[in-house]
Amino acid sequence: MEYNGGAIIAMKGKGCVAIAADRRFGIQALTLGTDFQKVFSATDKIYFGLAGLATDVQTLLSNRIPSPTPPFEFTSSRPIQSFFLKTKADICSEKFRMKVDMYHLREEREISPKTFAHMVSSTLYEKRFGGYFVFPTVAGLDANNEPYICNMDGIGCITTPNDFVVSGTAENQLYGMCESLWEPNLEPEDLFETISQALLNGVDRDAISGWGGIVHVITPEGVITRTLKGRMD
Amino acid sequence: MGDRYSFSLTTFSPSGKLVQIEYALAAVNKGVTSVGLKGTNGIVIATERKSHSPLLEDNSIEKVSVICRNIGVVYSGMGPDARILLDKARKSAQEYKRIYLEEPSVMIMVKEIASIMQEFTQSGGVRPFGVSLLIAGFDDLGPSLYQVDPSGSYFAWKASAIGKNMINAKTFLEKRYSETMELEDAVHTAILTLKEGYEGTMAESGIEIGIAYLEHTTTKEGDKIQQGRFKKLSEPEIKDYLANL
Amino acid sequence: MAATATTLPKGGFNFDLCARNEMLANKGVKLPKTTKTGTTIVGCLYKDGLVLGADTRATSGPIVADKNCEKIHYLAPNMYCCGAGTAADTEFTTNLIASKLELHSLATGRQARVTTAMTMLKQMLFRYQGNIGAALVLGGFDVNGPHLYTIYPHGSTDKLPFVTMGSGSLAAMSVFESRWKNGLDREQAVELVKDAIEAGIFNDLGSGSNVDVCVITKDNVEYLRNYRKPNERQPKLQSYKFERGTTTALTSDFRKFVDVVEGDAMDMS
Repeated sequence: MEYNGGAIIAMKGKGCVAIAADRRFGIQALTLGTDFQKVFSATDKIYFGLAGLATDVQTLLSNRIPSPTPPFEFTSSRPIQSFFLKTKADICSEKFRMKVDMYHLREEREISPKTFAHMVSSTLYEKRFGGYFVFPTVAGLDANNEPYICNMDGIGCITTPNDFVVSGTAENQLYGMCESLWEPNLEPEDLFETISQALLNGVDRDAISGWGGIVHVITPEGVITRTLKGRMD
Repeated sequence: MGDRYSFSLTTFSPSGKLVQIEYALAAVNKGVTSVGLKGTNGIVIATERKSHSPLLEDNSIEKVSVICRNIGVVYSGMGPDARILLDKARKSAQEYKRIYLEEPSVMIMVKEIASIMQEFTQSGGVRPFGVSLLIAGFDDLGPSLYQVDPSGSYFAWKASAIGKNMINAKTFLEKRYSETMELEDAVHTAILTLKEGYEGTMAESGIEIGIAYLEHTTTKEGDKIQQGRFKKLSEPEIKDYLANL
Repeated sequence: MAATATTLPKGGFNFDLCARNEMLANKGVKLPKTTKTGTTIVGCLYKDGLVLGADTRATSGPIVADKNCEKIHYLAPNMYCCGAGTAADTEFTTNLIASKLELHSLATGRQARVTTAMTMLKQMLFRYQGNIGAALVLGGFDVNGPHLYTIYPHGSTDKLPFVTMGSGSLAAMSVFESRWKNGLDREQAVELVKDAIEAGIFNDLGSGSNVDVCVITKDNVEYLRNYRKPNERQPKLQSYKFERGTTTALTSDFRKFVDVVEGDAMDMS
């Protein structure tokens, strides 16, 4: 984890969830990129992030930086359609992307956040004795728009608290920030401020995370995505 | 030479038939009748428990079986074949649960079983399964009833029958079935349908019934939840139904 | 099997990355920490059955990874199992055995026996020579009455009237040793288990938060999640909510969900 660095948070709000990550890509102390993607969408309403070894993050998630927001609107009620739109325009990724898409086609329905989390977890546990160095975080709304967040260790042990989860090299700092800033029933805009401040101030005390951040707030109406201005040192 | 296509399972006849599959269907049509009905709030599947000898222990026969918590199955045709399918189905339901920590949906289970049956129409050294299945389950989409045939084809039904008395039973169901029927009525109708072709008087030990329904439970966190369930009716329960016909 | 064979893994562990990880370790990449359940887990027999108990803290090194996790796992309708050690191992091992037990009871047409579960667990753990870090307290009620076992990560087992496991096992055992006796009633047994877990919560740093209790009797299981919460967090006196607009956003965008209504089929003529 200390090889590439990184920080990811997910938080529950009132009828919404948020997930945030820093944007640094580096090898130990050397910063190589400031637009690295660690958070991706699994479905319209499920986002997930991977902190850890960058090579594994990309193997499991993505080998292409997402294109800017597509000009069309996304659908939620027609899973098959939104699936095609997404694979064409949004992200291309590896292992989990394939698994989610196969689920979609086989079951003819969207995967729920909880089921998705267990799918990720059993994928990791399969490699219990020689695993990927990644720490997944999942945030999403289920079919009834109930918030769900969780994170895992590198071998698939899920924790599902009621408030927030953090992972990455800045974990300790983020725990501190979230414990003090988070409160129940935050509206989407307030949740955005809380998660952003927790992230930005947390990573400022971590030498190998930071360089800006990205926040997704998932609400029943849509997803707010914002990139944050952060210290560039 | 006319029956040269009847031996190799994987050889089409010039008219495009795989006759072994048709023979398998013939085996099904010799089997004991099974029926399945969909009610607004559940599914019932039922079959006769026929013993050819009074010396036989009735309860040693099981034709309606649980696959997993929300799905059950009944067969018509060859019992030993059905048992192999049942074992495979149960195992694959557990494999599914190991990955998603969730019961499989009925459609997934049906596809799984159907594809096993299909594999046995196209592989070397095997023969098709001599059974048709009625699969009943309750999932997120509500109750559903499927029939799977030896060829591996499957259909969703509101009501169906398989086995010896299939034609009569289907005619009966077409007359009696109504889409607004609740599970209770569906169970009655299923029993009546079986009764049509039943020899002798029907006793609770003479039929097997399974139902898929929605169970209301409370989690340990105190949340009220609803889950699809499949269960076999006990003999006393069947006795009550028979008494209330 | 046929339909899903290409996509659902068959099960069993995969060792593909072991060589790579060894190479990385030799180059100085630190191996990741796993979540542990420091844990106090206990069980004791009483007059009509048995009581299992667990704390609810999961740790990752010195960090509390989960303040209210569940350590009493379902095995079968008449059996539950407390897990200590590597959290993922206890979770997946109990799930796997639960799955095997369900198949077993479907095949035999009767409820699985506790000794069957115990044998399955010890055989699996022994096979992996302690590399699966699961230390378990198994309790259940079957045709032969109540049974309570401990299973160690290497596969050895004990059958005793009262047992404790995990880093808080000594603290909990001191409570049992001084107060457990034959023929306790339900209330006394639950109280004793609660006190044993609380001894772990307060005296062992690997254990903490709340007390979970599970009472298993003939034909009945009572799972008392968060039976006691001796460490409830006080509500914050002040809100640290930031005013909207505090954070500078470089880009902002809203991806709206829309409902697609069924349209007419495309005109192909």
